[in-house]
Amino acid sequence: MTVLAGGTDLMVELNFGRRRPEHIVAIDRVGELAGIERNGHVRMGAGVTYTRMLADAGSQALAEAARTIGSPQIRNAGTIGGNLGTASPAGDTLPVLAALEATVVLRSKAGERRVPFADYMTGPKKSVRRADELIVAAEWDEAGPAQTYMFVSTRNAMAISIAGLAMVVDRARKRVGIGLGSCGPTIIRPADAEGFARGLFDEAGWERPHRPSESAAKELGRLVAAAARPIDDVRGTAAYRRHALAVMGARALSRVAQIA
Amino acid sequence: MTRILKSIEEFEGEVSESLVIVDGHDLPPARHDGGSPEIGRSRRRIDATQRVTGRARYTQDLYLAGMLHARILRSPHARARVRRIDTKRAEALPGVRGVLHRFNTPKTPFRGDDVIFREEVRFVGEEVCAVAADDEDTAREALALIEVDYERLPHVVDLEEALGDVAPQLESDGNVSESGSHKRGDTKRALKEADVAVDVTYRTSTQLHNALETHGAVALYDGEMLTVWESTQHVFGVRTGLKNALKLPYSRIRVICDYMGGGFGAKNGVGKYTIVASLFAMRFGKAVRCVLTRDEENLAAGNRSATLQQLRLGAKGGRITAIEHTSWSNSGQGKWIANPTGPTNTLYEVANVNTRSYKVVTNAGSLSAFRAPGYVEGAFALESAIDELAEAAGVDPLTLRRRHAGAGKDPITGNRYSDKHLLECYRIGAKEIGWDRRRAGGTRGSAPHRRRGIGMASQIWGGGGGPPAYATVHVDPDGSVVLTAGTQDIGTGTRTVLAQICADELGVELDDVRVQIGDSAGPFGPMSAGSMTLASVGPAVRLAAHDAREQLLGAAAGVLETPKAELRLEAGAIVSKGARTPLGEVLGKVDNNTVIGKGIRFPNADDLAQKTFSAQFAEVEVDVRTGEIFVERIVAALDVGRIVNPLTAASQVEGGVIQGIGFALSEERIVDRALGRVMSGNLEGYKVPTVKDVPTIVVKFVDRPDRRANNLGAKGLGEPPIIPTAAAIANAVANATGARVRHSPLTRARVLEALALAGIRD
Repeated sequence: MTVLAGGTDLMVELNFGRRRPEHIVAIDRVGELAGIERNGHVRMGAGVTYTRMLADAGSQALAEAARTIGSPQIRNAGTIGGNLGTASPAGDTLPVLAALEATVVLRSKAGERRVPFADYMTGPKKSVRRADELIVAAEWDEAGPAQTYMFVSTRNAMAISIAGLAMVVDRARKRVGIGLGSCGPTIIRPADAEGFARGLFDEAGWERPHRPSESAAKELGRLVAAAARPIDDVRGTAAYRRHALAVMGARALSRVAQIA
Repeated sequence: MTRILKSIEEFEGEVSESLVIVDGHDLPPARHDGGSPEIGRSRRRIDATQRVTGRARYTQDLYLAGMLHARILRSPHARARVRRIDTKRAEALPGVRGVLHRFNTPKTPFRGDDVIFREEVRFVGEEVCAVAADDEDTAREALALIEVDYERLPHVVDLEEALGDVAPQLESDGNVSESGSHKRGDTKRALKEADVAVDVTYRTSTQLHNALETHGAVALYDGEMLTVWESTQHVFGVRTGLKNALKLPYSRIRVICDYMGGGFGAKNGVGKYTIVASLFAMRFGKAVRCVLTRDEENLAAGNRSATLQQLRLGAKGGRITAIEHTSWSNSGQGKWIANPTGPTNTLYEVANVNTRSYKVVTNAGSLSAFRAPGYVEGAFALESAIDELAEAAGVDPLTLRRRHAGAGKDPITGNRYSDKHLLECYRIGAKEIGWDRRRAGGTRGSAPHRRRGIGMASQIWGGGGGPPAYATVHVDPDGSVVLTAGTQDIGTGTRTVLAQICADELGVELDDVRVQIGDSAGPFGPMSAGSMTLASVGPAVRLAAHDAREQLLGAAAGVLETPKAELRLEAGAIVSKGARTPLGEVLGKVDNNTVIGKGIRFPNADDLAQKTFSAQFAEVEVDVRTGEIFVERIVAALDVGRIVNPLTAASQVEGGVIQGIGFALSEERIVDRALGRVMSGNLEGYKVPTVKDVPTIVVKFVDRPDRRANNLGAKGLGEPPIIPTAAAIANAVANATGARVRHSPLTRARVLEALALAGIRD
């Protein structure tokens, strides 16, 4: 059984003859999947479209990621559940979900299970989701305004990212999350970079905005790039991806550190 | 009196002589005093409503009753011999009507080959078989059931690899052949005596056309006539191609192209899909549709050749004294190349020039003409190199160009230009961009890691058009007008400007003119290519309208019993001493029913060079850490003679600039060398600019009629605006950062590499 939400990935697979499912069930009109609940904790139904994420939907970084995706038509159709279902390392919302330490909610006839995002993806377009499970929601704790998503691509719109980076600084919980897209088989969390950033906020104070030194920003970028496992492909070289991540890491830190 | 005259035409850099039968006399140049009711007026496209409401019917929209669907099986190998083809399983599939391949298809001469299915297939995507079935899905399914026994052969897809010794040699005389050269003066000596010289190598990647509408044809055969609807830039060229392939007389072939979604040079003639559709149509007596998918479009429907270009330039006393330019173009399986040294040979008055270009054959899809073929690639190299020379010589790059851009003669033929205002383009463009704000080394950008720069480049191109082209103007008894002309509207707005010319000359309202084009049943006309449609067909239309008006005024003189000299035709009415009589009323008094005016395109002067000139100025910001280029503003100042419709003309320029931005920044066909497969075969992998990549584009026209060119004073505009864009951007990037990127497109990675080489990367 194959489910169809926005179809922005599935239709490509069908049109290129990569998949020939016997049955397709359209779930785009299932209202229960399209809700957003917020009360310090966010539960975003799998059917929420990118267009809806553009408005305040519980994460500034997610809104920024949604803005980078496709054209208005694609944003009106594509959903967060679809991004999770495809589980591509280039999925733009996924580095954000990684940085937010989100939970993926899966449901089957056997019941519901909740998988931390860190355990969800197992490889390019591979996840722990079983064939009988439906993605019903993604959940995370609201992390405050100090967050951002950046990406580089081969042109300014409607292009799959060559490298993407989400950074979330949860000042209340004293937590830094960084997620890297398009630079490894799964979304990568650069642990050393996160640790280094925590050290910076410990020093500068979590509650106050600050302007990180250029050398600190650069070092964060270096640690981000070191954690990446990029490959050469049609869109870009591994070397360029690593370089871009270093630049984005430094910029993301400079940007979010000044937001409190 | 009927007589034969000599004419000189230029088509995409090639000058040729022709003989034309003419009758009567051409009109004097049209007035340009602002008093024309239509010419020089911005008019929205007369077919705009049809287009935006979806009523305009394109070839792809054509579904005829009982139509069969043809699809093509393409080689998965870059080079292989087709030894055996087993179609049994495919033919057994319900709904399959037939399969064509090299063992059962008659000889059908096509672009130098005598068959459409070759024994040795020579690129991934080359046609191997074609299937006709009751529906498209069945045809596609059948392709998967065909078994082909290929004997794989060694291949080479990369231009520079093909130049090397170890590459397989694809032709008996090797992969490389000379395709053109030009020499004047003594470059060796001039370079030796130069104060400064630059020796630089440029590369351009393969660009794919990706017109909105893919290539395709629908063929219908009724036992007498073969009618073909095709998305084409030349209905008559397709007719000739079919005549040669199928051995039918012209009179039994009709080719129609009502609306089409662009071609950019890739749809200049018959395609294998046309022949496939026609062969099946003739076999089954049914309509057959064969339309390429986007992937097929990017494999086997043409491209702009990748090039490798070496330039040596010398300057002395602040003037360019020598240019040597050697160029190699990847023609794929094409049998010609577009010459990148064209601009070097003709754009500037330089005493010592030595150029040579080579065709390199590879196992990739054939090149085809692509909006200013050769000149876009060549201008990128030449105009970048001129900036490099200017920098080395310590001269402002615009000043350096000014010193060489004023010549009044074509340096190759010695013929005078019919008109030329390149210096005026420089003046207008420099003022508009604010060239005096340009600083050597660029300026600070909008963020600490951003640099800002200004660059420019110029362009030369043909666009004078020429004969043969014909038009007729039919005026019906109610005063309504049908203009029939030998041309097709490939998206440029041809219908609209021809209607304007007709209405203007005839003296009727624009809305009263219906334009009938894109049909080989009508009068002959040229290919919509080489920026020659307006300058070729427009003057014939004007003459036809003039002929009709003379007849109408003559008729009116009789009907109104007033001397003809006292009559005028204005806005659809005969005007005599303040009294207006609607044309329909006058014609209602006689029984002729139809008044027919005829017009032809008179020859070009055989001692003049008709050229278009322009300059573009770009302002960019560059993120020196990520290598991203943000084009903020492009100013295009053009000398293309008289502007018939400023609105559609500006729109042409914008389109050219945008396509030029694609060439400059993101468009690049990527081929896997080991397998010969195109890795960027669709619009996800191949990045044409989106609306977010489009900067502010300011379009300025010199707008002076070229009175020696033709009776309209108008020249072509399709190609000029794409030629200088990439070089202007590259020069702006170099100005902003101090780093020279010598490979288009200027991808992020290439920009970073250039910054690193220049020692600018942090």
